[in-house]
Amino acid sequence: MNAKSIRRWNLVGGALTGLTLIVAIFWAFPIYWAVVTTFKFEQDVVKAGVDWLPIRWTVEAYINALFNTKLGLWYLNSLATSLMITLLVLLTSAAAGYAISQLNFPGRRVLWWLILASFMVPIPALIINHFVLMSQMGLLNTLTAVVLPQLIAPVTVMIYKQFFDSVPKDFREAALMDGASQWQLLFRLYLPMNWGITTALAIITFIGAWNNFLWPFLAVTTEDKMNVTVGITQVTDAFGVKYARQLSSAVLAGLPVAVVYLLFQRRVTQAIMLTAGIKG
Amino acid sequence: MAQVELSNISKRFGAVEVISGLNLSIEDGAFCALLGPSGCGKSTMLRMIAGLEEVTDGTIRIGTEDVTHAAPKSRGTAMVFQSYALYPHLTVAENITFSMSLAGAPKAKQREAAERVAKMLQLTHLLDRRPAALSGGQRQRVAIGRALVRDPKVFLFDEPLSNLDALLRVQMRLELAKLHGDLKTTMIYVTHDQVEAMTLADLIVVLDKGKIAQAGSPWELYNRPANRFVAGFIGSPAMNFLKGQGDGQGVVLPDGTRLAVAQHMAKGAPVELGIRPEHVKVATEGPIRGRASVVEYLGNTSYAYVETDHGPMVVEADDQPVKAGDQLALVPDLAKAHVFDATGQAL
Ligand SMILES: Nc1ncnc2c1ncn2[C@@H]1O[C@H](COP(=O)(O)OP(=O)(O)OP(=O)(O)O)[C@@H](O)[C@H]1O
Ligand SMILES: [Mg+2]
Repeated sequence: MNAKSIRRWNLVGGALTGLTLIVAIFWAFPIYWAVVTTFKFEQDVVKAGVDWLPIRWTVEAYINALFNTKLGLWYLNSLATSLMITLLVLLTSAAAGYAISQLNFPGRRVLWWLILASFMVPIPALIINHFVLMSQMGLLNTLTAVVLPQLIAPVTVMIYKQFFDSVPKDFREAALMDGASQWQLLFRLYLPMNWGITTALAIITFIGAWNNFLWPFLAVTTEDKMNVTVGITQVTDAFGVKYARQLSSAVLAGLPVAVVYLLFQRRVTQAIMLTAGIKG
Repeated sequence: MAQVELSNISKRFGAVEVISGLNLSIEDGAFCALLGPSGCGKSTMLRMIAGLEEVTDGTIRIGTEDVTHAAPKSRGTAMVFQSYALYPHLTVAENITFSMSLAGAPKAKQREAAERVAKMLQLTHLLDRRPAALSGGQRQRVAIGRALVRDPKVFLFDEPLSNLDALLRVQMRLELAKLHGDLKTTMIYVTHDQVEAMTLADLIVVLDKGKIAQAGSPWELYNRPANRFVAGFIGSPAMNFLKGQGDGQGVVLPDGTRLAVAQHMAKGAPVELGIRPEHVKVATEGPIRGRASVVEYLGNTSYAYVETDHGPMVVEADDQPVKAGDQLALVPDLAKAHVFDATGQAL
């Protein structure tokens, strides 16, 4: 490369960086604005003009969210349902992926096609069926109702199958010679050899379950059984909109996911790339 | 310890018959090598004995037990894979005792077993490493250790040394021979390397397209090959073959030269005379004449590749300096010659 083309290259690179920066600012601004607003007094929020930082700082909105609402309970509900969903989805997906990848049984192909087909159907299209089903089972307004329909996870099955497919046959045969049963093959060989995938899938399933709104919103109407995402819609006031209060509960609701993301950044990226690879 | 009996074993993959009607009896404590060219069905044989592959027909007995349809773990066999197949997420010690751990043996017992096996294989200082941090030879030893810890009745090896470099291969070969000497357990060893088979085995089974071409001791295979396939397969450089016609106790070459041999043939029957390179002398006068095209000097001996009137021949020229381009006369030691009939059977 001569000096001229290097300069041109730098120019292109610089322009791209600039563009990315602008997009990032656009993306981040609402979050910044929400967080800043939560530390303002309600009067200051509705005051004319733009305050980049609060004129007077207060945590009144947070105190209200934590002590005058059922946020704590909603947190627990979210945590319980999300953990349950994550655990069950991983367990069933790993087992299903293993069976389809490694076992020979009649109906294997049909099962595989069914899973592929169920992946083509968008979840919102099924939500009425889910609702009717849960109501007929008498489960509405329970955490079980929140969990059950979210266990349908064809993508996780597909990812597990893909990874189990790529485990060389010799490992399986060596373990068979060592006396492994099918369960031992799955839990002592295939899963441990693919821990990275399991953690990545766990994180992304957990985040998805935590952030889910539509289904928990439909399945539960009693405040005590609500998830955080649904609960924060209840933080309204009899005397009009209170921006700081609403935003503070939203920030609290989003906080765990943000923390999970920051802690496991690399794994999350990996998981998103994995699922994107399948979703195309 | 146990003998292995294969009766009438056949194996088909779909319509393709890979092994057909194979009978073999391996004595208790024997070291048996399955030898043959690529694709002849060696691995398939071994995997059927291990139980990793179903037999289509026939029965397999290990000891007194019919294990034809038994699960791999209940056959009392242990296998060393060509790829080693060490579990990457486990340490060397855990790899070695994986079978015990699956069976729920107490931790202390596992550690004890790992240490006992590691001592035999000089792996003690590596017990807490993972396979990724081992050299090829060390991995090989761990794979053997994993088989050893199960105290099997029969050891199965599928080309265990083929991923090692030449020097290490010789070293591991000696260690395997020593191991067999110590344990005296039946071992079945698949290889396509005849040197491995010749040096290690008491019984060599040469397979050709899913059939046994010959089974016997290394000495028998080398000196009494039952057919042309075994004669050509065993020995390096390979045996020379000269086409001719039978004439009582002689073979008449196309140019009319008559070579007297010990075997009897019908007059005019098409035959092939087989003679090993070390049984042909280079001389000034002889029944076969030709021109040396290439001479390989190996230090202790040299091999001359000679274009003769009867086709190319290889001769060992150890007592006479030969150069490429020399005109040579060849004198075969006909007492050591083999004769094969039109179907390839030795006479
Ligand atoms: N699962 C299978 N399905 C179909 N054909 C197979 C299968 N496994 C092996 N074969 C065929 O069986 C024949 C023997 O295979 P095998 O692996 O036993 O050969 P091998 O003697 O071990 O050869 P190599 O020295 O190359 O390992 C080959 O022609 C191979 O293509
Ligand atoms: Mg093979």
